[in-house]
Amino acid sequence: MKKYIFLVGAAIAMSFVSCKKSLLDINNENTISTGNFWKTEKDAESGVIAVYNMFYRQGTWTRNIYTQMQGMADDGVSLAGWTELSEYAKFIFTNYNFGEVNTKMWKEHYVAIFRANQVLDNIDNVNFADQNHKQDLVGQVKFLRSFYYFYITSLWDNIPLVLKSSSASDRPEQKTPEQVFTQLETDLEDAVTKLPATRPAAETGRPTKGAAYALLAKIYMQHHKYPEAIKCLQWLIDGEGKNYYDLVANYGDNFSNTKENNKESLFEIQFSLMNRVGFDQTDNYRDPNAQLGTQIEMNQAPAGIGWNNVEARRWLVDYYKREKTIDDKYDIRLFYTVWYNDAGKDFPERSDTMIYGAKWRSDWGNRVFIKKYSTSASPLYYWNDNNFRSLRYADMLLLYAEALNEVNGPTPKAIECVNRVRQRVNLPLIQNSTYYNGTQITTNKDAFREHLKIERGLELSLECVRWIDLKRWGLNDQTTINELKSRDADFNNFIIGKSVRMPIPQSEVDNNPNLKQNPGY
Amino acid sequence: MEKRSISLHLYKRLRVILLTAFLVCCGLVSMSQQRINGTVSDSRGNPVSGANIEEKGKNNVVVTGTNGAFTITVSPDATLQVSHIGFVTKEVAVANQTQLQISLEDQNQEMNQVVVIGYGTVRKKDLTGAVSVIKGDALRDRNSQDVISSMRGLASGVKITSSGLPGQSASIVIRGLGSLTNNYPLFVIDGIIGGEAHLNPADIESIQVLKDASSAAIYGSRAANGVIIITTKQGREGPVRVQADANLTLEWLPRYDLMDATTWKQFDDMAYDEAIRSGVAGVTKRQNHYDANTDWQNEMLKTGILQNYNVSLSGGSKNGKYFVSLNRLDDEGALYHTGYDRYGVRVNTSGQKGIFSYGQTFLYTRTNRQNLNGNPWADFIAISPTIPVKDPLHPGGYGYGDPDKANNYGRNLVGMQDLFIQKNPENVLKGNIYGQLSLFNKMVDAKLNVAYINYSGTTNTLRKKGNWTMGQGSDAAYLGYNNYRSDDILIEQTYNFKRKFDKHDVNALGGITYNTFKGQTNWTTKLDPLVIGDTYITSLDAATGSTTGGSSYQKAALISYLGRVNYSYADKYLAQVTMRRDGTSRLPQNNRWGNFASYSLGWRISSEKFFNVPFINDLKLRANHGTLGNSNIGFWDYQAVINTAPRAVFGVPETRFIGMTQSQLTNIDLVWERKTMTNIGIDAAMLKNRLNVSIEYFRAKSKDLLVYLPILMSSGNEGGNPAVNAGSLANKGIEIEAGWRDRIGNDFSYNVSLNVSRVRNEVLDLGYGKTVYYEFLSKAAIGQPLGMFYLYKMLGIFQTDAEIQAYKNKDGKIIQPNAKPGDIKYDDFNGDGIISSDDRQIVGNPWPKFEAGLNMSATYKAFDLAINGYGRFKYDVWNGSAAAAADFANNQNNFNGIVPWTTQNPVKDRPRIVFGDTRNSRGDQDRWLEDGTFFRISQIALGYTVPERLTKKIGIERLRAGATLTNLITFTKYSGLDPEFRDAGIFTMGADNASFPNPRSVLFSLSFTF
Repeated sequence: MKKYIFLVGAAIAMSFVSCKKSLLDINNENTISTGNFWKTEKDAESGVIAVYNMFYRQGTWTRNIYTQMQGMADDGVSLAGWTELSEYAKFIFTNYNFGEVNTKMWKEHYVAIFRANQVLDNIDNVNFADQNHKQDLVGQVKFLRSFYYFYITSLWDNIPLVLKSSSASDRPEQKTPEQVFTQLETDLEDAVTKLPATRPAAETGRPTKGAAYALLAKIYMQHHKYPEAIKCLQWLIDGEGKNYYDLVANYGDNFSNTKENNKESLFEIQFSLMNRVGFDQTDNYRDPNAQLGTQIEMNQAPAGIGWNNVEARRWLVDYYKREKTIDDKYDIRLFYTVWYNDAGKDFPERSDTMIYGAKWRSDWGNRVFIKKYSTSASPLYYWNDNNFRSLRYADMLLLYAEALNEVNGPTPKAIECVNRVRQRVNLPLIQNSTYYNGTQITTNKDAFREHLKIERGLELSLECVRWIDLKRWGLNDQTTINELKSRDADFNNFIIGKSVRMPIPQSEVDNNPNLKQNPGY
Repeated sequence: MEKRSISLHLYKRLRVILLTAFLVCCGLVSMSQQRINGTVSDSRGNPVSGANIEEKGKNNVVVTGTNGAFTITVSPDATLQVSHIGFVTKEVAVANQTQLQISLEDQNQEMNQVVVIGYGTVRKKDLTGAVSVIKGDALRDRNSQDVISSMRGLASGVKITSSGLPGQSASIVIRGLGSLTNNYPLFVIDGIIGGEAHLNPADIESIQVLKDASSAAIYGSRAANGVIIITTKQGREGPVRVQADANLTLEWLPRYDLMDATTWKQFDDMAYDEAIRSGVAGVTKRQNHYDANTDWQNEMLKTGILQNYNVSLSGGSKNGKYFVSLNRLDDEGALYHTGYDRYGVRVNTSGQKGIFSYGQTFLYTRTNRQNLNGNPWADFIAISPTIPVKDPLHPGGYGYGDPDKANNYGRNLVGMQDLFIQKNPENVLKGNIYGQLSLFNKMVDAKLNVAYINYSGTTNTLRKKGNWTMGQGSDAAYLGYNNYRSDDILIEQTYNFKRKFDKHDVNALGGITYNTFKGQTNWTTKLDPLVIGDTYITSLDAATGSTTGGSSYQKAALISYLGRVNYSYADKYLAQVTMRRDGTSRLPQNNRWGNFASYSLGWRISSEKFFNVPFINDLKLRANHGTLGNSNIGFWDYQAVINTAPRAVFGVPETRFIGMTQSQLTNIDLVWERKTMTNIGIDAAMLKNRLNVSIEYFRAKSKDLLVYLPILMSSGNEGGNPAVNAGSLANKGIEIEAGWRDRIGNDFSYNVSLNVSRVRNEVLDLGYGKTVYYEFLSKAAIGQPLGMFYLYKMLGIFQTDAEIQAYKNKDGKIIQPNAKPGDIKYDDFNGDGIISSDDRQIVGNPWPKFEAGLNMSATYKAFDLAINGYGRFKYDVWNGSAAAAADFANNQNNFNGIVPWTTQNPVKDRPRIVFGDTRNSRGDQDRWLEDGTFFRISQIALGYTVPERLTKKIGIERLRAGATLTNLITFTKYSGLDPEFRDAGIFTMGADNASFPNPRSVLFSLSFTF
């Protein structure tokens, strides 16, 4: 009996020993392990999709970037009830770890970059039946990575440039904006050769050669490399690109969810309400049902209707009204851009001046709310499906004019580009403008440049373009700041040499010895 | 003198009677008798008079004289039983001897207590490790619903912090923070790992807290944070014993002293006036204000009524024992629409026949909780008191902020509780069964133990249509069902070897254990539930919207080989060696196995011949050293996986595409975390065993700490920081436990015990090559304790423009040029002339200088009283509620009595209040630090036991009525709600983020035994 028990005991003990390996080898079959991924074309394809997915985040294009870029620029202001949020858009940075804006934007852009780097690091291990498909994917990822980098460079200037898949112990080096731009230029020059000029309808939303040229042109401009920018813009405006792109007849179509992916749009972020969950769920990285819509409208709608995190500055209304159209009407861009108290009076022919189905409230006074990208939803759901036009042909025309002017002064081509934008909204040719000094503008390089600042401001207001423009034109001299102050009181808080870039999230600086906080913070 | 002579006289008379009886018996029973002379002495050789000498099995008794001598006539093979009050009863075989020298061992209850040490027991006097023991009796009158909080203040070196949230367990840390991931100790309940959350404290027989390496070593890899062994009650031999307890608790939660609407409006208008004056963008006039005057605390808080009933039946014979208990708890909750109820059944049995014995425990618990949304203590501050509770103009009908009347994002908690309803029913089935064979004349015990825990819980969510805060989008109504189920199986096979020869006493243990865990989550969410009238139908089938769902599972296994040898020589020299080898599925294949060993020695000095200190009854010195492991991390932290959730949309018409990517970074080379501890302790019993003192000194060093150390955001990591073997921490400390018990006369007995502990923590290494690690409020640097407050320092308030202009650095640069009178003057720590992130500095220490617990109890006749108190002394706390109330920057509420800076009343300690401006109210400044010192009388329990002669008449053996006051008295200067709060994580352990305060309560109890 006793012996028997010991034998049983020993047998059980032995059985543990002999099968310990199998008992402890437990694989996670909830998903695929990285070792089994990056094998097939389909893997590479889904790796690329994951990079696009980062557009649908609060720190990217779902909401916060709009508040920040418009709030800092002179076209917008934040009077948000959330004081920290509104202070951030006014150059009042108290807590550098402010989660809603600073760390969220920083983090989610780098998540996108990590996803892009994974594709670029692994795609060569995948066998492609069709090499063009591979080229296309590489082109897309290079475009997307540059796109994300371009915006964070515009916000923080001196950022770590991460180009390889990360590991946990990385402490990437900080780079200057010029160093970052140089890298993006290399990537996009490559993307231009890899991306197709046109795509079938099923691929709408993926970047084309034109999109890559457009982004590249913006980066060259930001880098003040005008001849290089001209080359890109030439392709778009005088070259092959003119077969695919043009201004749309109706300015308002650029911001309507029923006129998406039109010929004026070089690249737009595709928003959709396909994933309709019941509640505010955008930042859940593990949820396949996470929202694919944008909160741009909720973010900017007047308080009581939406969050009112950002609204427009009054000067926009005044500037639009300074110059009338050739048929003596107000510039229709005013109507499509903002809501303000006198819209009904100024556009008597328009019946649709209601603001989210309601009349203008008298206690809103002189305030101006952003109308671009609004829809007819009422009451507002958190999201809408209105695609955000990141790169618009009108922007390219004006950049072309600017670049040409920088190189050769106001050439006929430069003037033509400006006029194409003006003619669409029935404004007189610039040389014939009665409000502006057309003769001086079309003959003097400086005058032309100064005028472009206004022309761009009115054509591209509240589209996250203005802050980038202001940085390109320089925010280093008191005269400029004083002029900006006259339009946007937020610039009273602007400190030259400091406020042109945001503070890097403090936790990031604290814990990366290779990263210095931006000057003055 | 008189008295004594009488007793002597009686004693002599008694002796005559006994001797006579003895002689009669002798004559009757046997003729073959032997006369024995002997003396009885104590352990130091002093004679013991009045000791009883009894021939075992016979009615033959003599008593020793004043010199300890006795004479008795017995049969030559008789056994003598020698007993005396205060000494351990001893049996001596006569074995034909005629002269006997009998030495009696001091009886010390404390020292002879049996301590459960894991796969076995030892007497406390043989213990070589640091173990605190808590008896079930000590818990019984505390009437806590949660095991951990019931232990509060009863053991040294154990820091327990209740959360106050209904149904949420308290947190517990033994001997400081040793790990960066998890400092939760291992609970072993009747040989089952875990499950303390569902244990009914009334069922507990005893709790042992194993604090050092040698005690905990048998649990090896799971024991790095200490082990708490709980045994539940077993039946005792005898007839059925019924015990019934009924408790009624009235419970309420502390409240802030917040402004009412009238006061608040005055301050708020002031904040707007200030905003207009200093040109805050967009502020042109005061708010129009709602007209309501809502006391949000009144709306949410009420007196909770908690009823708890326990009935147990126990009994048995030598061959079989049983204990059965039933428990019913109904907690109505002290918060609006919250509640918790529990049903529990326990059946414990054990039996024995010949060499075979078995035991079994079984527990079934069913609980149901209605959840609380969010943290009301943060929301009480966040919301304006002018906002009405109900507002028919809003979707759903609840009041909340309005851009014109109350520009405020505070949440209407009543609305939230009504519109977002979460119920959480749970079932727990838990049990073990063991069989044991005693072989070779009880020298070897072979035991097979199988334990099983099955947990299943559901979170049912009903989101009704409607809003509770300003700016909330128009959320859809939905139903959510989230099921979680887990199975945890433990199989243990152990062999125990016991042998005593001469003065050697050997006890050896060997075994193997296998533990497997599987958990599974399934969830479904469906939009648009059916609504009939005002009633939401909660059946998923009736909902009409789209459905989403998912599931995932977790699995783990652990195999361990264990061995322990205890050896003692002559009860004087004690030694223990423990070895354990663990293999876990949570670590990568190559690093899966870890070996852990510990060694300990003990020396009972008081047993030595040379030791002769009359007032010390027992003295033991012990020392040990050992290594424990920890692999308490996620199931698959070393495996890098692909996230298949990302989606994107392309094309005309829109098509959704599936994205895949790695989201979370991993470190694939994880190894066991190791903690090496050295412990030196002294146990002494003094003054006739009335005073018991234990002193412990320990040093612990953890290395290869498994931690989810935050990594840079620029890595693009998402979904939690990867586990890494990062860093090393040291903890050293001292613990003193002293207890005094005595009796005065026949009616009054009392005992007082005090435990004091002090821990010093030091960061030795931070991993990833870091020398310093920062969080929002704190800094961890090598050579410093964790979680030091690293903040901007407030120097004062600028009173005038001249002061602002005069505040310059050494180069003459004006440091705060944009400041206005009434703003905070911050310290330009680095002297560069601007206030920047480089000006943060170490301004506080969250580690208490020491912690203490004081327990007193007394009984006088039928009355008993117990008072428990504990406190923490000299440390800093960051008052998150005060920081959240800030300075009206977001139209939040604030506390009565604040005096902000104004031109009329330019105070020096509080800045001006400004709407829309956070410069003075930033969280990361030392303005919010306070001394957290407190001492709390956590419990006062008073009881009256009805005299037995009265209760007997109605068939009741014991009837006690009691009242317990909990948390009613606290001495502290801390201005937050409760100095005892659950911290927000080890890197910011001193931050009180408007934590849920501990409830105050009064409990009435009635308990019967019959």
